[in-house]
Amino acid sequence: MKPQLVIGLGNPLMGDDGVGCRVAERLADDPRVPEDAEVICGGTDLFRYARQMEGRRRVVILDAIQDDAEPGSVAVLPEAGSGLDARQQHAHHLSAVQAIRLLEMTTPSRFLLLGISISSAGMDTGLSPALAARMPAILGRVLHELGRPPEDLRPL
Amino acid sequence: MRTLVIEHLARVEGHGGITVELEGDTVGNVHFDVFEGARLLEPLVRGKRYDEVAPVLSRICAICSVAHSLTSLKATEDAFEVRISPQAELLRELLYLGENIESHALHLFLLALPDYLGYPSAIALAADKPDAVLRGLRLKKLGNLIQETIGGRAVHPVNAVAGGFGRAPSADQMIELRSALIAGIQDSGAVIDLMASLPGAEFCRCHTVYAALHSPHPHSYYGGQEVIVASDGGRSTVHAADYKMLSNEESVPHSHAKHSRFRGQPFMVGSLARLTVNPSRIAGKVALAAERLGLHLPADNPMDNNKAQALELIGDLERAGEVVEQLLREGIEDEPPAAVHSRAGTGTAITEAPRGLLIHSYTYDAEGRIAAADVITPTALNAASMEMHFRRAVEQCAHRDDALLGKRLEMIARAYDPCISCSVHLVRKR
Repeated sequence: MKPQLVIGLGNPLMGDDGVGCRVAERLADDPRVPEDAEVICGGTDLFRYARQMEGRRRVVILDAIQDDAEPGSVAVLPEAGSGLDARQQHAHHLSAVQAIRLLEMTTPSRFLLLGISISSAGMDTGLSPALAARMPAILGRVLHELGRPPEDLRPL
Repeated sequence: MRTLVIEHLARVEGHGGITVELEGDTVGNVHFDVFEGARLLEPLVRGKRYDEVAPVLSRICAICSVAHSLTSLKATEDAFEVRISPQAELLRELLYLGENIESHALHLFLLALPDYLGYPSAIALAADKPDAVLRGLRLKKLGNLIQETIGGRAVHPVNAVAGGFGRAPSADQMIELRSALIAGIQDSGAVIDLMASLPGAEFCRCHTVYAALHSPHPHSYYGGQEVIVASDGGRSTVHAADYKMLSNEESVPHSHAKHSRFRGQPFMVGSLARLTVNPSRIAGKVALAAERLGLHLPADNPMDNNKAQALELIGDLERAGEVVEQLLREGIEDEPPAAVHSRAGTGTAITEAPRGLLIHSYTYDAEGRIAAADVITPTALNAASMEMHFRRAVEQCAHRDDALLGKRLEMIARAYDPCISCSVHLVRKR
């Protein structure tokens, strides 16, 4: 089992919301991904991968974030209580922030949430041109984070 | 006039969730806006080959990916008159049970329970009652394990294909699954203890019409092609090919979802409807649990859908154990899928997704490509019934302060367990 698990979240039928999934698809075939990392293109439910998280040193989650930053910016997201919306937003889903908080109760793995800024999400099977153009930079930033040892990373 | 808006139930921005207009003691418009419906989904598959359709539509929702995938395959097989083997039927049934267990565990423990106990979220609940939250996570994980074992992947299953199964699970995998199910069944007793301990939710009572698939087996979500609509002791049957009698869609200006009525009346789909239409589901341990929870059918309280989900969770775990035993006893054949000969035609399938009837209907051209597609989700079918129950809850509320009304309407919405198709997953900043 590889010590790092990378999960790209999002709905690829909802345009830029699917960016985490799209990045994971690209990483899955990218030789620059560290050998100690396994990449999964997930859907919108992080809990589905609870079993795959077992025994990992670090779980890296890629998800879209709607904020004021330039679309395509990648940020290591801070504490869920400091600006991220951890409310029960949806009648049937938990957000990545909520899911990580609960998963931390069941696994000793360290979690890292990388937010990829988007400006909006609507029904579309592709990314917006603005975000698609930023894909090489997004991949470079994510790969940089994957190459860093966990000790250097702020826990979520 | 004042307007109460509960916005955050709808994840797509600009679609307002629940809106209630109040003029003194008079309840005006009550609207539920949901981003849902066939007109949004059809463009995703038009022109696709028959074997490309299910993989696309399974991505409508991660929670319901099995339901969409299997309903899609069933519709395609109906169009091409393909008959799948008994083993494939059984594997699909088990896959569906896995999704239902996972979905109900998530809904009951992590979404509905905080409402009943006055916590803003599952995270807050976990701080005080970690055992309840951990039990929910364990049961959800078990549902995921079933889906991964049978479907071949944690999400968006790949093993189920037109004609049957591409790859069946091994006996070793099934033995592992049996062990996990035995532990899950032991865990399930606590589900009823927990539900029985919750405070009552008595704030919306009214006559309700129910619609559900008539199951060939008491705990089947997949088999059958006839829907029973139950109202006032009467039962009407609708065959899958006549599904438009049910969807009977009416555009409303305030929602992307068209509203459905049967003979002019809104109807409710989901767990409570399944138990009402198929009373044979309530037997053995499930019957004892129903008595303990005080669930009497037909119910006139939509909040009882939570109790019905708890009963289904018990029954599903037992049924999943039986199916695994049967497959192990009979041996799992490495059989190829039935041959599929595509042709021009129309096929329709109805199954029971965790939150109710799911309909896929496709018209194929002579090359086996989608010429027209209709996907009707349970949340779209429930939209008119939800509005009816919201209205009754407001009318029956003596003290109409916004906080109390908002809380009650949100609890009713959640009791329906709506799954907004094409939901987004992004993190938002406050």
